[in-house]
Amino acid sequence: MISVHNIRTVARYEAKTLRRSWLFRLFSLGALFILTLMNIGMFSPVGNEAWQTLAIPSTLPQINLYMINIAQSLIVIFLASDFLKRDKKLDTNEVLYTRPMSNLEYITGKTLGILRLFLGVNLLVLLICLIINIISPQASIDIAAYFEYILLISIPTLIFSLGLAYILMTLIKNQAVTFLLLLGLAALNMFYLFNRLNSFFDYMLFGFPVFKSTISGFSEPGIIVSQRIMYTSLGLLFISLTILMFKRLPQSVSHRLISITSVIVFAVISAFSAFYFLNDYFSDEKLKHEVIETNRLYQGSNFLETTSADIEIEYMNKEIKAIANLSCRNNTGKEVEQILFSLNSGLKISNIDIEGTGTYNTDGHIITINPSSPLAPDSSINISFKYNGSIEEAFCYPWYTDDIKENSLSIGPVRVDRKHVIQRDEYLLLTPETHWYPVSGLNYYPDNPARIDVDFTNYSLKVKRNNKLVAVSQGERSSDEDYWYFMNNSPLTGLSLAQGKYSSDTITVDSIDFIAHYYEGHDYFRDDLKELNDTIGHLISGIITELETNFNAEYPFGSLSLVEVPVHFNSVEKKNTQTRAEVQPSMIFVPEKLATMNDAGFYRTIKRQKKRMERSNQVITDKEIQVRAFNNFVRNTFITSSEFRFNRGGDRTQVRGRYLLGPSFYFYKNNFYSEKYPVINAVFETHLQKTETPQSGFQRMFLGGMTENDKANTILREHSMKDILAMNPSNDTTSIILSLKGDYLFNLMRAEAGIEEFNGWFYSYLEQNQFSNIDINKFSRDLKERFGFDLFAHIDNWYEGVGQPGFLFTDISVNEVVVGNRTRYRVNFTASNPESTPGIFNASFRTGGRGPGGGRGGNVSITMNASGRGSLRMGMTGSNMQADDPEKIIMLDAEQAKRISIILDAEPRAMIINTLFSKNNPGELQFPLMDAMEGKTDENTENEEVLDKLPLMHESNETIVDNEDPGFRIYQELSSGRLKQWLNIGSEQGSDYREMFVWWAPEYWQKTIRSNYYGEYVKSAVYTRAGKGERHVSWTASIDQPGYYDVYTYIGKRGGRMTADRGGGRNAMKDLHFTVEHDDGEEDVIVDWENADNGWNHLGSYYLSPDSARVILTNSSEGRTVNGDAIKWVKQNMYN
Amino acid sequence: MKIEINDLNVVYRNGNHAVKNINLLIEEGMFGLLGPNGAGKSTLMKVLVALMKPSSGDVLINGESIRKNRKKLRSYLGYLPQDFRFFTRFRTWEFLDYAGSLAGIRNRKERINMVDELLDRVGLLEVRDRKANKLSGGMKRRLGIAQALIGNPRIIVVDEPTTGLDPDERIRFRNILSDLSQNDVTIILSTHIVGDISSTCQKMALLNRGEMIFSGSPSELTGAAEGHVFNLSLTQEQYDEIKDRLHIISSMPSEMGWDAQVVADESPGFDGKIIEPNLEHAYVYYMEHKTKGLSLKI
Repeated sequence: MISVHNIRTVARYEAKTLRRSWLFRLFSLGALFILTLMNIGMFSPVGNEAWQTLAIPSTLPQINLYMINIAQSLIVIFLASDFLKRDKKLDTNEVLYTRPMSNLEYITGKTLGILRLFLGVNLLVLLICLIINIISPQASIDIAAYFEYILLISIPTLIFSLGLAYILMTLIKNQAVTFLLLLGLAALNMFYLFNRLNSFFDYMLFGFPVFKSTISGFSEPGIIVSQRIMYTSLGLLFISLTILMFKRLPQSVSHRLISITSVIVFAVISAFSAFYFLNDYFSDEKLKHEVIETNRLYQGSNFLETTSADIEIEYMNKEIKAIANLSCRNNTGKEVEQILFSLNSGLKISNIDIEGTGTYNTDGHIITINPSSPLAPDSSINISFKYNGSIEEAFCYPWYTDDIKENSLSIGPVRVDRKHVIQRDEYLLLTPETHWYPVSGLNYYPDNPARIDVDFTNYSLKVKRNNKLVAVSQGERSSDEDYWYFMNNSPLTGLSLAQGKYSSDTITVDSIDFIAHYYEGHDYFRDDLKELNDTIGHLISGIITELETNFNAEYPFGSLSLVEVPVHFNSVEKKNTQTRAEVQPSMIFVPEKLATMNDAGFYRTIKRQKKRMERSNQVITDKEIQVRAFNNFVRNTFITSSEFRFNRGGDRTQVRGRYLLGPSFYFYKNNFYSEKYPVINAVFETHLQKTETPQSGFQRMFLGGMTENDKANTILREHSMKDILAMNPSNDTTSIILSLKGDYLFNLMRAEAGIEEFNGWFYSYLEQNQFSNIDINKFSRDLKERFGFDLFAHIDNWYEGVGQPGFLFTDISVNEVVVGNRTRYRVNFTASNPESTPGIFNASFRTGGRGPGGGRGGNVSITMNASGRGSLRMGMTGSNMQADDPEKIIMLDAEQAKRISIILDAEPRAMIINTLFSKNNPGELQFPLMDAMEGKTDENTENEEVLDKLPLMHESNETIVDNEDPGFRIYQELSSGRLKQWLNIGSEQGSDYREMFVWWAPEYWQKTIRSNYYGEYVKSAVYTRAGKGERHVSWTASIDQPGYYDVYTYIGKRGGRMTADRGGGRNAMKDLHFTVEHDDGEEDVIVDWENADNGWNHLGSYYLSPDSARVILTNSSEGRTVNGDAIKWVKQNMYN
Repeated sequence: MKIEINDLNVVYRNGNHAVKNINLLIEEGMFGLLGPNGAGKSTLMKVLVALMKPSSGDVLINGESIRKNRKKLRSYLGYLPQDFRFFTRFRTWEFLDYAGSLAGIRNRKERINMVDELLDRVGLLEVRDRKANKLSGGMKRRLGIAQALIGNPRIIVVDEPTTGLDPDERIRFRNILSDLSQNDVTIILSTHIVGDISSTCQKMALLNRGEMIFSGSPSELTGAAEGHVFNLSLTQEQYDEIKDRLHIISSMPSEMGWDAQVVADESPGFDGKIIEPNLEHAYVYYMEHKTKGLSLKI
């Protein structure tokens, strides 16, 4: 018999020993102190109260245990290995070893003693958390989560860490080596392994998501538990092995047998858990691979259009039973012998009824119907499918890895795993991506990932009632004792279904039903926004009107439902559309309690706003504050939200919001398709979405660097759009290419048709053809009929052509034009395209206001995301940040130059040229016009005159070497130490163009681009951190003739108020140290950047013999950075 | 309790034959195990308290092998190891409480009473709440014996308990052990200090280089040295002459030069007077003979 008394005795005194150790005291007091501060800071009314961390009550205990678990998993290593060292060292232990207890009892007691202490600290931390939780007015309490997270996070980590420390100490018998190994493992876990193989190695739950939803609980309980059981078992296995290997003579055969049995049992449990976990991971990967390969076989097939679908479904015990009656039309233009459908891999067909008889067979998720006779063009067929099973989540987004390494979502410091479908006993969420009903089309076309097939289908849905669960779907809902019924008045691109304990509220505004489906108690906003009861309708009406104005279209559905879903639900960005599964036709799935949206923390927003007002003695009513909070939330979430992700090296990726309503105004009601140009719909959609929600203004305005268009142009320099898409690039690349090409195509149409004329016609065209598929051939015919413009004359080259135009701009001037008592302005400039590919660019202007940055006024709101992780969330409204609203679009043929004049009603401050698809980098050029005023003129007409020849870019006596030219050279001396070199810190040489960061300038010469730098197509410079001259660059030119030369350096200053140069304060750039080499030796020339001219600055006149001339710039400076661009040698007296 | 040691051998992995063919019978009362450092006493102790497995042979406690019945043996046992320090974070009473609890005293009240009683018995009650590492060397030894006594063990094994103690503490410690030996327990005292044995043990064994070279009563050992211990009065020259030749047990400067006690088989001359041997004389005489490989008749 195992003596519980002995175990308890050892545990009690082990705990006592550890409790009195300074290490443990420091740890526990430190942890309690820090976590108390954290709790107060994050969750209490005196702290930050970030909505993200308060909305879901399980977040509080999880964050607390997450934090302490990292610390304790390290501390326990020291304490565990210390006790074995103590035992080994002191004979004192022998007086214990001679006592009548078994090794099993002794080691178990020791283990429990350590566990008891650590768990005690954990419980204290949770107690503090609970107190804060109770007093926080915004947070509800999930008591079960407190216990669940102790079981999931703390205990397995502690047991595994203890066991591993024991066994390593037993085997290695050296505490220092054991420390190093265990700390190394912990570090490896935290910096590398934690997200490998879906966190298989993450014993301390550093990155493994165990987030608990209030609605659906843990996302994958089986997987989570298997991972935790695996580490618990491994820990117990190690402890059992330690018992067997313990250096004390065993006293009990039975206890030894128990230990041996434990070793075997825990080894088996560990292995089984590991297998379960990895099998799930690899079977998902396998299924995705199978889906892609199956799709590859069928991607060339013809798919019918599903015109109507009547679906009946029952959900019980995580299993679906459904009947889908589909009506399909052959719109392929040819006879179809086989009709293909795709159905989720987890659903099995039990029967198919085919109108007019026929057979069927399945190949993975593909169902092939073989009607008794081929289906003629434009004829229809009715097919009834009966099927059942559970949805396989891995089927969704087969190109996308569900590995959390690649795709993670965080709330505060803790991770949330992404789910695309949720099937729990008490909850169900199905979106069209799951193919929960037969879909006439594929979810992915491997050879053409940008292809998208859209059907506008009349759906009806009948959902079998299941206890207290309420079904939510699109359409008008009714019910009887047995079923929920949903009838849709408008065709939809897909149908979704949620089933849970929903309550619903409806408000009708402007004939549109706005319905909120929420869980009981989650309508916290009622209290926070209680003053809006009588105003909410007006607010919504205003927002919808704004959207309709922005999109030049009416909201196409009779209702808009906001459906609260588990926070785990998170769609994947697609290559072929900007729509996300969160936004469905007439329905938006928002996270429970709007948890991932900081703007949804109305309580805090309102409280802070009130405080601000009080501090500034401003009077504002509660209602006004609530209106602002509501409007901010709606606008930043559903209209203009976008987010920047900061990547390594300072690159930023702009991520569009997940809940934008924009798709409802295009994608869910219009579809352009083309067999030859399958990306056409994606291109149209991308362009239209971008037009209404500007993307890159922030980047251009504040930081310089390459915009998305610039990146796309770089990619398209060597390949056609078709070729690049066939290479299946990343989502970001696909997106920027579609966007750029969309801009180009639409500007082309606008240039030919006239901007206003085309826009008016096109939006009207979309309205007329809503809920129908438009063949691009028909669109082209209609366009030609209306404007005489033949789209097909350009579209082949647009899609398959290689080569880009390049634009140069010279001789910019502005004249006042006085007509009567009115003054207008005529902007003149020469534009040339020396390349062999024709192109277009558009010109817009900043007018009025003060200074060159003055504009038509806009509104930029920036909110820092409290969640950190390098995320900057930014909402932008207004349209002055982009050049998508051009004054003029100009076409230039290959090797053509034009003298262009544009008349403006207001005084222009700057001209902005957007070269769209071109070799220019940056593609958007800004030309200050303050100094270009050249007096008055009588010419009051706009003009485009084709010039006889291309203008010269510089005089014949000038020799210019730019930093892009071969004569430019970087001399790099790595100032970094050996450790930095080993770790590859600071040794990277910037090959890509990156934004200029004055405060964090690199210790190497980094290329950067900006419109005000010198260059023909590429306006770039190099910059580095200022120092003592350890780095330098040189410009070397070949001089043909001896003589005196004036030497100049180009300094590109931007006139705007908000520039990166000035971002570093007054000392951003100061003295620039040049060395000019000439026949008499060298001349050091210092240029004061602040007082230098914008453009060429004289470095002196020098006599140079034929050979090479050289100018050197070092990084020696008292400023923060040093910038080098171009050098010009101008021969004097050339005519003498 | 009767402890039989039969053909006991302990060979370490490095080949060191620490205990060689020991056969010994230990009965109730105080048993002394005497021998120089490195004689194998501590190894034998460790085998006796089941901390070490013998390479061959066996130890029977009341006829039961300690190879098979360690639990039973340990329940009889109180042990004070040679290098006894303390868990520095325990108070005096806590250490005893821990030992008592492991010794099987489950009732907390009973255990606390016993702890205080033992502390009183060894003169540590006044320092019951003092941290164990703050005790003096003698106090620590007394605490050590107290922990060995807790749970009323039938066998008490103490290994070099008086090393490093001042005379008062040593006497006190010996008295404690003597008192204990009156209580039907077997006390095995391992020491290299002859005085510890002579003043307390009824039976003893002498170990040298792993072998048992004597087993019997201290008086039997003393008897073997009778007629072989001499008192000499020596000049400096004489003293220098014999010090390398004879084993001098003690020497004191005198008016003449030196007064010395030596052990020798025969009279060393110099008008040596035979004196009555004590255990120390006998131990030296005995060890001298064994070292030289001489036979010795007892």
